Amino acid sequence: MRFGTDDYRPGDVYDELVDSEGQPRPAARSLCDYLATLDAGEMRLRRQAIDAAIVTMGISFTTYNDGENIDRAWPFDPIPRVMPESEWRLIDRGLRQRLTALNLFIDDLYNQQRIVKDGVFPAELLAGSRNFRKQCRGISPRLGVWANICGTDLVRDKDGTVYVLEDNLRVPSGVSYMLENRMLMKSAFPEIFSSNRILPVDGYTAALYDMLAALSPRMEDRPVIVLLTPGIFNSAYFEHSYLAQQTGAQLVQGTDLLVGTDDVVYMKTIAGLRRVDVIYRRIDDDFLDPDVFRSDSALGVPGLMRAWAKGNVAIANAPGAGVADDKVVYTYVPKIIKYYLDQDPVIPNVPSYQCNDEKEREFVLANLDKLVVKPANESGGYGLLIGPQSTQQQREECAARVRADPRSWMAQPTLTLSTAPTLAGEQIAPRHLDMRPFILQSRSLYVTTGGLTRVAMREGSLVVNSSQGGGSKDTWIVGGT
Amino acid sequence: MLSRAAESLYWMARYLERAENTARLINATQQLVLDLPPGASFGWDTLTRIVGLDKLFQQTYDEPDETSVVDFLMISPRNPGSIQSCIRFARENCRTMRDVLPRDLWERMNSLYLASKRYSQAGLRHKDRRQMLQELIYDRQSVAGVLATCMSHDVAYQFIGLGEHIERADMTTRILDIQSAILIPRQSGADPALALLWVGVLNSLSALQMFRRHAASAGSGDGGITAEHVLHYLISDLHFPRSVGYCLDAIETHLAELPHNIDPLRALRTARRRLDRTSDADLATDRRHDFLDDIQGDLAHMHDAIAREYFHLHQREAVLGVAV
Repeated sequence: MRFGTDDYRPGDVYDELVDSEGQPRPAARSLCDYLATLDAGEMRLRRQAIDAAIVTMGISFTTYNDGENIDRAWPFDPIPRVMPESEWRLIDRGLRQRLTALNLFIDDLYNQQRIVKDGVFPAELLAGSRNFRKQCRGISPRLGVWANICGTDLVRDKDGTVYVLEDNLRVPSGVSYMLENRMLMKSAFPEIFSSNRILPVDGYTAALYDMLAALSPRMEDRPVIVLLTPGIFNSAYFEHSYLAQQTGAQLVQGTDLLVGTDDVVYMKTIAGLRRVDVIYRRIDDDFLDPDVFRSDSALGVPGLMRAWAKGNVAIANAPGAGVADDKVVYTYVPKIIKYYLDQDPVIPNVPSYQCNDEKEREFVLANLDKLVVKPANESGGYGLLIGPQSTQQQREECAARVRADPRSWMAQPTLTLSTAPTLAGEQIAPRHLDMRPFILQSRSLYVTTGGLTRVAMREGSLVVNSSQGGGSKDTWIVGGT
Repeated sequence: MLSRAAESLYWMARYLERAENTARLINATQQLVLDLPPGASFGWDTLTRIVGLDKLFQQTYDEPDETSVVDFLMISPRNPGSIQSCIRFARENCRTMRDVLPRDLWERMNSLYLASKRYSQAGLRHKDRRQMLQELIYDRQSVAGVLATCMSHDVAYQFIGLGEHIERADMTTRILDIQSAILIPRQSGADPALALLWVGVLNSLSALQMFRRHAASAGSGDGGITAEHVLHYLISDLHFPRSVGYCLDAIETHLAELPHNIDPLRALRTARRRLDRTSDADLATDRRHDFLDDIQGDLAHMHDAIAREYFHLHQREAVLGVAV
């Protein structure tokens, strides 16, 4: 049996590799021709080599419900997702625009609040926002940038339009898997890389280092940069350790740091205390500083906010940046781009209904069976109602929740996420996917070439998160197309 | 290097060394028990005292006999010093320190861990036990081999070396002390059977061959295997890696590579002075147990000095705005 796309029919969706006639798209032609040369045995061998490499390299993620076995091998699909460079260039522009505007928005919210005074963003939404941290008022971090790292989820609908699904700018993760996926593909299928112009992704860690170094308050040759992790039992620990190694940052836990009476952050080393300039933190605001936020947090550093407010240490992403990581704020992003940059968004938002608005709320409640209803703040796909797949009881429960706390809910039409050929057992079959590029901002902007493509491994499923059974693919931006 | 990281590496090394040496201790004990002269008996409760775990043992088990003591030392999860507990802790420390350790190490450590789990399932039949313990020693030596040959002699390596050698010196003195658990009925003169006991001790430390080749006394008529000669060799020899003297030298080499090493070196010198002044009287039957205890005390002081210097930053002093 050959792995050609002859028998592959995507159905009534947009497929990333194959068009509605079953023909490979131009950028994917070379890949599809290659796949057609592989028979089942050959594919199985490559699959096994990849799986062995994943175990040996220790690429894992951690889930909480497995008893003693806490590290799971990374679920990777060997058929990449392909996008032509010309399309990517437009998306790249749109991502830069979006993060620039969001950072201006966050800085404004914690300072003048002009956008609120000018009536563009409602004050009551700010008051109800869980991630707006009053302790950050009046502060402007170095370079005025709050969200230094953003993971923006992109989806493509049936008509081929790419939308932004959401912006993750609290503690976005997944970039290490993007880098490892490329490494796995290079080791399993080296011959494809010589016959295709696939743009490289490996520049990320150097760009990450540059971005962090630019935030340092001291004009030293080599700033002291640490990566603050909650520790080995965190689901993203592999990534923390990986990025620390790749950037040369010191991997630390809260207990390795202390804030002196001089409001400077120090690291506890065998040679004594060493001053820290930049903290790349992978801990949520709530746990960052027991003196200011949750007092029961054992993960953070007492006094950290004091040091940050004085400008003695940089924190990426800044505390309070999460105010813009909110599904309700998301619906205002086109207005935010217009307000700060006087531009229209290059990448559109998914059309959204705000339950805070009476008319839109009534529309949502009348159409629960057709919409996706999302809580404003949950991540990982929890708390979601997917209308067309829901039961009557689930819809009634959702309606009750929306009526009780309308500000915390928003809804969108059900998108038919695009698909790509995915190895399902010994067959290839279409599976839905999304994409998460990463954008960095400090002194300048950087966008990953492509991003992490996440794929739902179960047929028909639209949920791509790894914590709920999703996997991922390598993402190819094909040059010259 | 972070204080916490240094401490993790140090203890990883100590746990591994403890696991191996506990296996040697049990093997040495088996040998001795088999070769006991008529009328003599072995105090298994003394063995628990020798490793400093007698109180814990009494809380966990009713009767100190061969089965309960070996169970306690090999597999009991309630004994943090049991072979299985040590391997489990070593593996956990290795896991958190994977970014500074050679890649192969994690896989070897995992093999060692899985092997140790098999022992508890297999039960503790006498003849199987010896083989299992031997395999465990081999597996652990595989880990030591990776560390010795695939790791840069950087700061991380020094802390591993410190932990390994402090623990090894300490456990050597404990293995030497098991002879004090033997209760021999009063009879006159030296008993040739006693020489066999000391051969057993040398074998458990893989030292018999080296002793014969290198010990100053080896040329004398009785093969030189007397308590005093063996004790002297394993305490003072500077070339055999399991002797206390060798370990002290190794510790000094590791400390020399670390910053702020004055206090730990001072503690080391105290230990070495005791060794240099070892007299025959110290090694005599009635005195040797206390002497070995004294050496263990010196090693404990060295550990304290290292912990104070490198692992526990004095937080109160540190917070007084010290800029680095």
